[in-house]
Amino acid sequence: MGFWDTITDLVEAATPWSVAEAEAPAQETTEETTAETTQEETETKPEAAAEEPAAEEEAKEEEEEEEEEEEEEEEEELQDPKEVFEEECRNSKECAPAKHHYDECVERVTAAQSQEGGANEDCVEEFFHLVHCATACAAPKLFSVLK
Amino acid sequence: MLARSCVRPMRAFASARNGAVQITKRAASSSSGSSAESPLRLNIAAAAATAVAAGSVGWYYHLYGNSHAMTPAEEGLHPTKYPWVHEQWLKTFDHQALRRGFQVYREVCSSCHSLSRVPYRSLVGSILTVDEAKALAEENEYDAEPNDQGEIEKRPGKLADYLPSPYPNDEAARFANNGALPPDLSLMVKARHGGCDYIFSLLTGYPDEPPAGAQVGAGLYFNPYFPGTGIAMARVLYNGLVEYEDETPATTSQMAKDVTEFLHWAAEPEMDDRKRMGMKVLVITSVLFAMSVWVKRYKWAWLKSRKIVYDPPKEGQTKIRD
Repeated sequence: MGFWDTITDLVEAATPWSVAEAEAPAQETTEETTAETTQEETETKPEAAAEEPAAEEEAKEEEEEEEEEEEEEEEEELQDPKEVFEEECRNSKECAPAKHHYDECVERVTAAQSQEGGANEDCVEEFFHLVHCATACAAPKLFSVLK
Repeated sequence: MLARSCVRPMRAFASARNGAVQITKRAASSSSGSSAESPLRLNIAAAAATAVAAGSVGWYYHLYGNSHAMTPAEEGLHPTKYPWVHEQWLKTFDHQALRRGFQVYREVCSSCHSLSRVPYRSLVGSILTVDEAKALAEENEYDAEPNDQGEIEKRPGKLADYLPSPYPNDEAARFANNGALPPDLSLMVKARHGGCDYIFSLLTGYPDEPPAGAQVGAGLYFNPYFPGTGIAMARVLYNGLVEYEDETPATTSQMAKDVTEFLHWAAEPEMDDRKRMGMKVLVITSVLFAMSVWVKRYKWAWLKSRKIVYDPPKEGQTKIRD
């Protein structure tokens, strides 16, 4: 939080058209899901009139699926941004040479390991180059996200 | 006396020079006679030296094999530079982050690592309130003064006490950790190359599996940032391990960032004051320097602005001295 952030925060709070929300995001997604569920329920109702026991089972299954989806969403909230950014960076054009060398080395060493005698080299150096590239690329993005 | 003592070495020098001249003369005169022998001797010496050199290299490889010295793995991966806010010149520690970092230390790190140079009193005002610090201190027992019978009893901790260590001594720490000693973290940010970057990278840098072909010793874990890549500490930070009181999502990197900043505070609690004092020093000395430059120019103005003119006598007006 720099000096300018403080000023912009004050200005935003003072402007009449601003809306003060303590925890604004993550509301819309749940509303959408509830809307979907109501739609699904309305859709399932005519079916329920035709075949009642089967429709009830389907409804239960759907509810379970929804619960699972919600759990997954909670898990997704706790995904480490470092891994996400570094995965992006690893597959970016910037780190393509390092990744190419590393993949090639892994292929060569695993092939040698499966044969007799085993591999007489390792991919640590290639791994270092890849990790260095990925972390250097992800560092500014990561620290802009972290608190 | 002085002159004589100075002259004596001069004389010795001169005689030495004469001797050198004579030696060169002798060498020049004798070279014509023994010129047939010296190439053979030189060849033998060269061959012997080469044989010794090659033999010692061969012996080394025979003893140690194709040894991997000075490999990148031995050095360890150098940590990436991260844009730490609190390391900037005009920025201080984020005390909310310090509070979170202390929570991570207390709930995760403190089961193995001590923080023996940090007393509870230093936490007051920067991380905890007085009441919180007192309550925390009272959770632990410390040795009291000897009583009437000379026995040392236990008393609840005070603000003046230091944070308790998980093990009574290094031997107990080694025994409990498979022979590896968890270092004290009080000065760790200052004690390692890379400082905050190294600790953050080490905590978050454990790969899912070591790269192909890498040798990981028994009881060790692969971490690219640790010199030698085999570290006895397993990965400890996982998403959601700690529940922050300010509801920050406790991802691995968030916890590592907070605990690293906390450890930087532990190693350098005077940083905020130091930066402020540095700014004061820079501002005041620059003003004083500017003033001193102005005063110097003011005082020297008459000297610098004077003009010396040589007015040569004109030809017709030569004066004749009486």
